[in-house]
Amino acid sequence: MAATRRLQKELNDMRVHGLKCFRDIQVDESNILSWTGLIVPENPPFNKGAFRIEINFPAEYPFKPPKINFKTKIYHPNIDEKGQVCLPIISAENWKPATKTDQVIQALVALVNDPEPEHPLRAELAEEYLKDRKKFFKLAEEYTKKHSEKRPAD
Amino acid sequence: MNANENQNNVVDATSRNIAQELQSTENPVSEFDSENTSLNRLPTSELMKRVSNMRKIDRFRWMLTEGCGNSNCDNENCVSSGKIKPLNPRDAAALALHLYHIRAKVCETSRGSKVPRTQSPTPLFTTLESTNLNFSNEGSESSAPEFKFLTENVVRAIVNTCQNESRYSLLVRTIMEIFSKTDKLAKSFLKIEQTQRFNDFTSRNLTVLEKETLRELEGETEKDVDSLQNSKISFDWSSEETQIDFFALRKSYQSVFQLPSHVFESSFIRALMLLAENTEMELKVELKGKLCNPEDVEKYVISFLIVFEMPAVGNPEYVDRALPQLCRAMSYLPYSALARICRVWARHCQNSFKNILELLHQLITARTIDNGDEKRRHLQDNVDIISATKVMKVLYYANALAGKMESPLNTKDEDYDNPEVDSKYSLFPDTDLRYSVYQGALFAEDPLAAELKIDLIDCIKPYIPFSEFYNEPLSDTIEMDKDYTNYKSAIRLETLGASSSRCDSKTVSDKFFSFMTHPFILTPATKTLGLFYDNRIRMYSERRICVLQSMNGDPPNPYLKLQVRRDHLIEDALMRLELLCYESPQDFKKQLMVEFEGEQGMDEGGISKEFFQLIVEEIFNPDYGMFTFNADSQICWFNSVSFENDSQYTLIGLIIGLAIYNNIILDVRFPMVVYKKLLGKKGTFNDLEDSNPVLYNSLKCLLEHQNNDVEEVYMQTFRISYRDPFGSIVYHDLLPDGDKISVTLCNKQQFVELYADFLLNKSIAKQFNAFRKGFRVVTDESPLKFLFRPEEIEILVCGSKNFNLKELQESTRYDGGYDSSSTIIKYFWEFAHSLSHINQRKLLQFTTGSDRVPVGGLSQLHMIIAKNGPDSDRLPTAHTCFNVLLLPEYSTKEKLHDRLMKAINYSKGFGML
Repeated sequence: MAATRRLQKELNDMRVHGLKCFRDIQVDESNILSWTGLIVPENPPFNKGAFRIEINFPAEYPFKPPKINFKTKIYHPNIDEKGQVCLPIISAENWKPATKTDQVIQALVALVNDPEPEHPLRAELAEEYLKDRKKFFKLAEEYTKKHSEKRPAD
Repeated sequence: MNANENQNNVVDATSRNIAQELQSTENPVSEFDSENTSLNRLPTSELMKRVSNMRKIDRFRWMLTEGCGNSNCDNENCVSSGKIKPLNPRDAAALALHLYHIRAKVCETSRGSKVPRTQSPTPLFTTLESTNLNFSNEGSESSAPEFKFLTENVVRAIVNTCQNESRYSLLVRTIMEIFSKTDKLAKSFLKIEQTQRFNDFTSRNLTVLEKETLRELEGETEKDVDSLQNSKISFDWSSEETQIDFFALRKSYQSVFQLPSHVFESSFIRALMLLAENTEMELKVELKGKLCNPEDVEKYVISFLIVFEMPAVGNPEYVDRALPQLCRAMSYLPYSALARICRVWARHCQNSFKNILELLHQLITARTIDNGDEKRRHLQDNVDIISATKVMKVLYYANALAGKMESPLNTKDEDYDNPEVDSKYSLFPDTDLRYSVYQGALFAEDPLAAELKIDLIDCIKPYIPFSEFYNEPLSDTIEMDKDYTNYKSAIRLETLGASSSRCDSKTVSDKFFSFMTHPFILTPATKTLGLFYDNRIRMYSERRICVLQSMNGDPPNPYLKLQVRRDHLIEDALMRLELLCYESPQDFKKQLMVEFEGEQGMDEGGISKEFFQLIVEEIFNPDYGMFTFNADSQICWFNSVSFENDSQYTLIGLIIGLAIYNNIILDVRFPMVVYKKLLGKKGTFNDLEDSNPVLYNSLKCLLEHQNNDVEEVYMQTFRISYRDPFGSIVYHDLLPDGDKISVTLCNKQQFVELYADFLLNKSIAKQFNAFRKGFRVVTDESPLKFLFRPEEIEILVCGSKNFNLKELQESTRYDGGYDSSSTIIKYFWEFAHSLSHINQRKLLQFTTGSDRVPVGGLSQLHMIIAKNGPDSDRLPTAHTCFNVLLLPEYSTKEKLHDRLMKAINYSKGFGML
């Protein structure tokens, strides 16, 4: 298998070394191009829960970037209602084939922890985040508690 | 004449001395070149001619300084007439030279036997050896060296001297002397040793300078002779190297051009006119027949190279008088020499391209406008325009060479002229679709391209965009019917000439000059007109035959009639066209007439337009399965696993050919590589940039990866995988057992090339060959391939990429507090509409990541403009993933303009985090 050789190795490495912020990696044995996992943010207000994401690798990987989708609803200026996220590191324009998936995950977690209101996908949340941080935190925390998954025990 | 004879007798005694003097002028270092006598010593007759010439010049000088003495003199160039004030000796010398060259009137001297020459205390022409080179000595008569050639240092010394004295006659005279003579110019600014070049003379005092100059001159003469000799031994036409020291040449021009322009410009112009005139004569008459000898032509090559390197001359006289003559002279060079100029330009003179091109455009435009006054005179008969166009062609090729070129080996498509491939791949009849009757001589390869051994389609990126070569006034004025006639006549003559005698193709092309053989200067719209004439003429000839047939009783059928049912569009069209291929492929050249069954209406163009649109819509629909469509890049591609048979692809090829033929614009979204492939080239890695940018960038990263860990980082083998249009993953081995071969630092280039070859050629070969076959059935006999570049064919097929911003505005949604009535939004659209076409594209690119218009127009983009906070200094940003433009609520219109312009002009790539 072509693309999968590297993917298999990346998967093994991540399972062995384990990222603290990305747990429960599940891969369908028949299709290594599709992963799911749990994002476990550090910073409030998102540290009250965990968020399931799906990573889809193209057949041409690593010559084309993976796509990331949030399966869990999240109250975040940079992630829209459909779970789409605009992550520069995996954008078509910026993609570098030498980029490893754990780098992508780390960039994603960093974005979740520290929203970038300057480049929002949901303008109203960005405005709220900038103008009334307290309100944003309150609402985001409530939203997280209501919708997110349970954080892994350890 | 009497006076001359008289003089000759009188000065007979002195002439021997002068001759000796002159000889040493020619040979200031005669002790060095005893073995090179043949090169430097002139034959006696030549010498005598020179002596007499110089005497004549001296007479002018003397006329200008002292006058002929005749009180009734009416010569405006004689002091005695009172029409001119006595000049100082230096200026007089310069003017005298000029008067000589323009053959001004010479006064009969009243002093009879008193020859100016002998009167003159210091003759105008002195030897280097005898001159003390005392430039600054104001009191004495003119006494300056005559230079055999120029170097950077000499030029600088002259400029400095002139500046110090505020007298420029020395400079003027030197320019006149050197730039008017091929022999002298061709010896100037040749390469010397590095150390000498960097000697800085400017800071030294004049006396030292003079000696240095002298010494240098001597030294160089020697070297010059040497190098000339060497070059004779190993002269290489195809070399891009020359003996010209362009660095020194540019410096020299710089030092002259920093002077006030009135000082030197006119002398350059006069000198160059002379040079051009002489060169033209020499090339036309003397060298005719032996032009193939590189050594004989090289000096002209060098002098043209030097002349065209000159910075822009502001004086309109240059463009009006000198340049046309230069161009005319240059067009007499053989193609081999032009190719050489082309190579040298490409290698050394890229920075001058713009300047040269600009000047040529000025000339052509000016002549085109002038030409309008003289009715019935065709642009094709205007020598100045023709020769300037020819020079522009040399520049055009140089421009391509200076850019990025693909190796012809990479792009050669073996399938293109291989009849086996066609019969094998097509279910279309075995009827010989006679495009193999490629009337070779009909559209012969451009001779310059042949000489250079390049094909312009291989040019990936020219140094300056090809579109800058379009000359709009010319394109607007030109009468394409006349041009087409010339084109045909030239072809006919050439074909005849080739069969009967060795006809000089250059003369033919002069007699029947056609811009169709110089298509770079014509805008696509004008070229389309040329194609149109070609099409129509053939259509009419088809019709004529039809009329003849009708006399014989056959039913007349002047049109290509297609009867189709709306709900069976493709099947009907396919059946009919397939039948046509069997029966009479020549019918494709007829004007198309479509009839929808059960509908009334004569096809005056509207119905066939609809037919094309419907058929393209259906065939390119991804659901139809023939083509895939990539939503991100808005690009169509051949479905490599299509169930459709090849005749469907042949049909769409036919349709596209017919559309061009019938001037119908289609909404097809092929990447550029398709048009390149239609012209018989293979797609290569570089073409991926347009058709698959993400993959291109990644593969480029791979190529740029310099560390030895390619294997660990990429873990890639020569087996690649992709998803077919049905969503399943397909593997392909680029090499046998590809999955066992790792991509490494050593073989990554091969990997990339194979990968691109697979994607662009191999994987779709079957479909593409069928497609191209259809296209060629219609277009092969037309000059399409020779008139248009791939990107221009795209314009032919798809129309210009103009887009309707209003559509975009109407479909745009707003978010974050904006709505269509917000002040800033109003400002935004006002601004967007005011932008130039290019900037509108940039705005589109900035917001959506692509400047391609989606199928169905800009309204399909669903752009969103979202508020991004209150007024701030931040630039606007965009989410290209979702076509969102994030706009802070800027306080003023001006600020919005400024920020937006900055954003769209300085945002390459993503770079937001």
